[in-house]
Amino acid sequence: MAPPIYSALIISLGLGTTMTFASTHWYLAWMGIEINTLAIIPLMSQNHTPRATEATTKYFFAQATASATLLFASISNAFLTGEWDILQTPNTLTSSLITLALAMKIGLAPLHSWMPEVMQGLSLLIGLILSTWQKLAPLYLIYQIQPTNSNIFITLGLLSIIVGGWGGFNQVQLRKILAYSSIAHLGWMILILSFSPPLALLTILIYLMMTFSLFSSFMLTRTTHINSLATTWAKIPILTISTPLVLLSLGGLPPLTGFMPKWLILQELTKQDLAPIATLAALSSLFSLYFYLRLSYAMTLTMPPNNPAGTLPWRLNTRHNTTMMSLTTTSTICLLPVTPAIMALLPF
Amino acid sequence: MLKILLPSILLLPSTWLISPKYLWTTTLSYSLLIASASLMWLAAPAETGWSFLNCLMASDPISTPLLVLTCWLLPLMILASQNHLMLEPTNRQRTFISLLISLQIFLILAFSATELIMFYIMFEATLIPTLIIITRWGNQMERLNAGTYFLFYTLAGSLPLLIALLLLQNSTGTLSFFTIPYLPLTCSDPWAHKIWWTACLLAFLVKMPLYGAHLWLPKAHVEAPIAGSMVLAAVLLKLGGYGMMRILIILDPISKELSYPFIILALWGVIMTGSICLRQTDLKALIAYSSVSHMGLVAAAILIQTPWAFTGALILMIAHGLTSSALFCLANTNYERTHSRTMLLARGLQTLLPLTAVWWFIATLANLALPPLPNLMGELMIITSLFKWSMWTLILTGLGTLITAGYSLYMFLTTQHGPIPNHLISINPPHSREHLLLTLHLLPLLLLILKPELLWGWSA
Repeated sequence: MAPPIYSALIISLGLGTTMTFASTHWYLAWMGIEINTLAIIPLMSQNHTPRATEATTKYFFAQATASATLLFASISNAFLTGEWDILQTPNTLTSSLITLALAMKIGLAPLHSWMPEVMQGLSLLIGLILSTWQKLAPLYLIYQIQPTNSNIFITLGLLSIIVGGWGGFNQVQLRKILAYSSIAHLGWMILILSFSPPLALLTILIYLMMTFSLFSSFMLTRTTHINSLATTWAKIPILTISTPLVLLSLGGLPPLTGFMPKWLILQELTKQDLAPIATLAALSSLFSLYFYLRLSYAMTLTMPPNNPAGTLPWRLNTRHNTTMMSLTTTSTICLLPVTPAIMALLPF
Repeated sequence: MLKILLPSILLLPSTWLISPKYLWTTTLSYSLLIASASLMWLAAPAETGWSFLNCLMASDPISTPLLVLTCWLLPLMILASQNHLMLEPTNRQRTFISLLISLQIFLILAFSATELIMFYIMFEATLIPTLIIITRWGNQMERLNAGTYFLFYTLAGSLPLLIALLLLQNSTGTLSFFTIPYLPLTCSDPWAHKIWWTACLLAFLVKMPLYGAHLWLPKAHVEAPIAGSMVLAAVLLKLGGYGMMRILIILDPISKELSYPFIILALWGVIMTGSICLRQTDLKALIAYSSVSHMGLVAAAILIQTPWAFTGALILMIAHGLTSSALFCLANTNYERTHSRTMLLARGLQTLLPLTAVWWFIATLANLALPPLPNLMGELMIITSLFKWSMWTLILTGLGTLITAGYSLYMFLTTQHGPIPNHLISINPPHSREHLLLTLHLLPLLLLILKPELLWGWSA
């Protein structure tokens, strides 16, 4: 893609999210989200394969539906209450509709069906943008609605955690696995949103960090299938130690960082007398741990001298800058002891 | 406390910086030094029970024997793994030793934790190095399944524990071991209280393991390499017992009725797993099931919560740790020579390896709880306290003792006595490393005959 067009699209991506962040009027927020969607469409289909075009089309339809619903709900809210301000969306019906529209935008269950197929058709870099940057604007809007009725959030959250775990069980394509992991983690985030928005912020930030590490490791080794993980030891041996730890951190095992959001969320849920929901969420996250564990088996734990599970790959020259990746990987593994400091930094 | 913890942590950079020529000798000698220094914990003088305090860690008469066992086990694990890792590249050897050392660090932190959430995090943290040891360095394809079973059984039990601890923290404001026995515990809903009780104990019962939830243990023990089997049998199972001892203090008074099914299950498990041992062909599986059997006794004893029961449980945990680890080392000597775990393929070893036969004999006698070894003291105190609790348990425990003697004898006679099989062409003589390993296992056991007060826990 020609550099001027490429930079224009990237700038538009940033512009869209920034507009949404900076707005207090529903129109402007919706416009920001639309700019975001329109900017990423050409980026998604840039290699013009049929699969990429299919993914782009599916993404467009899902996001257009959600945006239209969002516009309709915010206009109805203005009609019913006279308020265009995002911070004051008092009507329960329309704010639920807004929540559902935004949930479809970020791919929460039961509105998640587009997510795995779209992710599968994209390159790893655009997939990374899809699961990190594209989630920010809708999440910010949900954060700002300041929901009082927690039922819809608990339902969305629990369903997402279960679907994110169960759906990834049978997958061998890494991008689909990453899509389901995104659904599960956003489920955890949305579960706690009505009770403690700062904890939701913490969850999404830690998820962004962990998923960045994982995507970066896959980009470095150019692996998109679970079988091609088996030759990582031949390409970049250090990844065979760090990526399983990142995967187990995504699964929420102590003493890795990924345990921190789960622990704090479970603590908040038990304070709100929702211990059975907390138990259900915790046990459902064991589903996703199963396929993360399977990925680490494929990558590291079946290394030589055991029989290798993959065939020898083409060694293509990759020159990635690994600064960010090393930062995020280290944080993904070692950040749990500084939990009190992190909790002090967030606005509790 | 930090005098032992910091050197253990600093063993990690040492492992990576030592030249390959001196890797094993240096790590072995440093860990032996730490193990000898850890013996100072046994001289705990404090009247209040808690000694060697700092803000986050302390040791008391229950955790001290387990801490010393943990520190003692690291040099033994390094000694045992030396042979099968010799052929691997140096970095992999360093990784393996680092995993063992990190396991030791987490275990020290777990046993000396003074706060329940710290204990929980360290309890879970021990899973990752063990998982990597089992699935990366195990020898058969089934090791992946074993790792999955191990991880998921333990996690499925311990996630409810996390929520139970968080609930406890909400109602009492603290989870510190120092203050928890004195806090009043009220729970309005009896049903919720029962579920909370189960959630608190389930993790430790799965870890011990209790008979119904024991399926992970034979898989994990059999598929693990020798260091993995040693640490699993000797220390990781005792984490479950230790956790149960700590948490039962706050679970009264409904424990009196609620623990019935678990006590019965544990005692029934003693007999069932003992009977399975009588029919085993796989040597490591036999030792694994015997671990389940002994731990069933320990679980039953801890659940009845009398002073003699706790003391007996603690003694049996330590003695069984040393014995079971010694038996796994002996099984490993067979495995390294024949590359098979089948007992029938390596018979008549008393003729071939007479010196090792001595160790087999002592370890087998320890397993069947021969007096005056501490194994007997533990089992006898447990059986006595169970008899006081209900005289019908004597049938189960007596039968269990009989079956234990039966399968221990079966194991000894099959491997040591009888004719040498025709296919054993060349068996390496025992290395002095192996003799040293077994001495270091069995000598503490024999020395503990002379001063078992070290293991008596709170009754001391």
